Amino acid sequence: MTLQIQNLGRHVGQQWIVRHLNLHVEDGECVALVGPSGCGKSSTLRLIAGLDPVSEGEIILNQKNISHVSAAQRAVGMVFQSYALLPHLSVFANLELGLRVRGVRPSDRQQRIQAMLELVQLQDRADVLPAQLSGGQRQRVALARALLRDPDVYLLDEPMSNLDAQLREELRPELRRLVLDRQKPVIHVTHDQHEAMAIADRIAVLHSGRIQQVATPTELYHLPETLFIAKFIGRPQINCLRPKDGVITAVRPESLFFAKEGLPCKLMSREWLGSSQLLYLESPEGSLRLSCSTSVDIPESLIVSWHRSDEHYFDEDSGRRL
Amino acid sequence: MIIFLLLPALLLLLVVFVVPLFRYAWLSFHADSVITGLIAIPNGGANWLRLLQDLRYWQDLGQTLRFAGVSVGLELILALCIALLLDQRWRGRDVVRTLALIPWALPTTVMALGWRWIFNTPYGPIDHFTKIAGIGSLNILGDPNFAWIATVWADVWKTTPFAALILLAGLQTIPADLYEALRLEGGNALICLRRITLPLLRPYILLALLFRLAQSFGVFDLIQVLTGGGPASTTESIALYAYWNALRFLDFGYSSTIIMASFVLISLICVIAWIGLQVLIPTHPKSRGVIEL
Repeated sequence: MTLQIQNLGRHVGQQWIVRHLNLHVEDGECVALVGPSGCGKSSTLRLIAGLDPVSEGEIILNQKNISHVSAAQRAVGMVFQSYALLPHLSVFANLELGLRVRGVRPSDRQQRIQAMLELVQLQDRADVLPAQLSGGQRQRVALARALLRDPDVYLLDEPMSNLDAQLREELRPELRRLVLDRQKPVIHVTHDQHEAMAIADRIAVLHSGRIQQVATPTELYHLPETLFIAKFIGRPQINCLRPKDGVITAVRPESLFFAKEGLPCKLMSREWLGSSQLLYLESPEGSLRLSCSTSVDIPESLIVSWHRSDEHYFDEDSGRRL
Repeated sequence: MIIFLLLPALLLLLVVFVVPLFRYAWLSFHADSVITGLIAIPNGGANWLRLLQDLRYWQDLGQTLRFAGVSVGLELILALCIALLLDQRWRGRDVVRTLALIPWALPTTVMALGWRWIFNTPYGPIDHFTKIAGIGSLNILGDPNFAWIATVWADVWKTTPFAALILLAGLQTIPADLYEALRLEGGNALICLRRITLPLLRPYILLALLFRLAQSFGVFDLIQVLTGGGPASTTESIALYAYWNALRFLDFGYSSTIIMASFVLISLICVIAWIGLQVLIPTHPKSRGVIEL
């Protein structure tokens, strides 16, 4: 049981929203789609769900081409960013509607919903309207609805972006427990790279409707294939030195250190981040970010250096890794 | 004090609504006509007793209810279909949206005159077509069986766009992802209509229903111009009858009684329509409670 996407594309008018998209997701594997807004990550999800028509390419789920199967027939479980709960129905009725539509017997429905509510720890909120739930609870109802669908693939469209940072952190392990335990392919769209790194087995970085790289979080961080990925993954953002002979050298802020010899810098400003601090420096090579421990004293004369092995090289024109 | 901020609006309401209402209520217990020299003389409940025995009033009431019921019912069904259609994306939709409002923008008198010519026998186009079709001359506005249908037809033609506009505004408040979520669960268009559109549209349906019921129950201008209440007062509405009593017979006491009676009645109908809609389209399968707009 796997999800295979081959050369997938969709255009509206002359504009390609997604193109030449290839992705393979195993059972029980979670792939995160990340990218800046408008990069086509949500569009990709809508294509897989069948909410938008496929212009070219194929979506193959369990050896079956579902590219032109209607959304209702696709066995897809989707969690929407807005949760998409019916405001006039109770939590129970919201969960029941899908089962009812698919012709599950009333006694079965009752039992399955009860079990599901226990799983997401909302058993005492069954008769409550969505408006009376907190954001995190609504998100769990939306998740419960997708789980009740018992789909062949899970699609999570920024499921946590409407929650505050602390709640997001609390829900991450729960999301992993509930969805990844189902041993089905999971595609998780997010603009939050921390979330992607925390949950996903592999991350696909999208830019202008195309996948730039699919890799594990560590690979993506240490061996970004393009300058765009290097800049997109990792916070604080990677430093790019002045291009020389068409080559851009990039160094992560945490690879920089103070030294006796190296690049002389001027301290512009300082951000204290609790466990670390971030220094904004001005150097002949351009502005730099340096991340270091808070216990370090900032020297009078700032001279920074780094190991050659921490350098990344990119082609100035194509942005490709060299 | 928030009440001071509301005061201008409250004063306006008092002058144009509350004062006339009490004046009518007061007048309905007085004889005030040409016979009394247009001086209000208390006559106990004589006006109300007369109303109960007035067959023409009861006939008009039946005709008014028939007119309001049929035309508002047709309007809402048509308006819902039109609103659903105008909510979809298709080429030329914006042009149609604008054009659809034209009947509503026409002054009632003007459009009623237009329909009077269309229905005219023997010069109107309808008469022309029925003759060609071999049905012969129907004399629509002169036949008690057809004349009331003509009034309903003209009313539906004119006010459906208004109801459609309200429902369209309601449709646009429903987020698209609700439909998408239900589609992914296996729901078809019909299930979406029943489970999402109708329940979430309910406040707007209610609004259109109440507006239109109250308005069509008090219909005057359309019927006055189109048929004048004829033939043989078979299209006469209560408002028309009140008008005849007040301004033709100069019997203000009895006219006020008719107006008060219909005021009470339309209030009742609106309450019944409101509760009825709560039951017909429940917001929650388990609750049948009345939920506010």
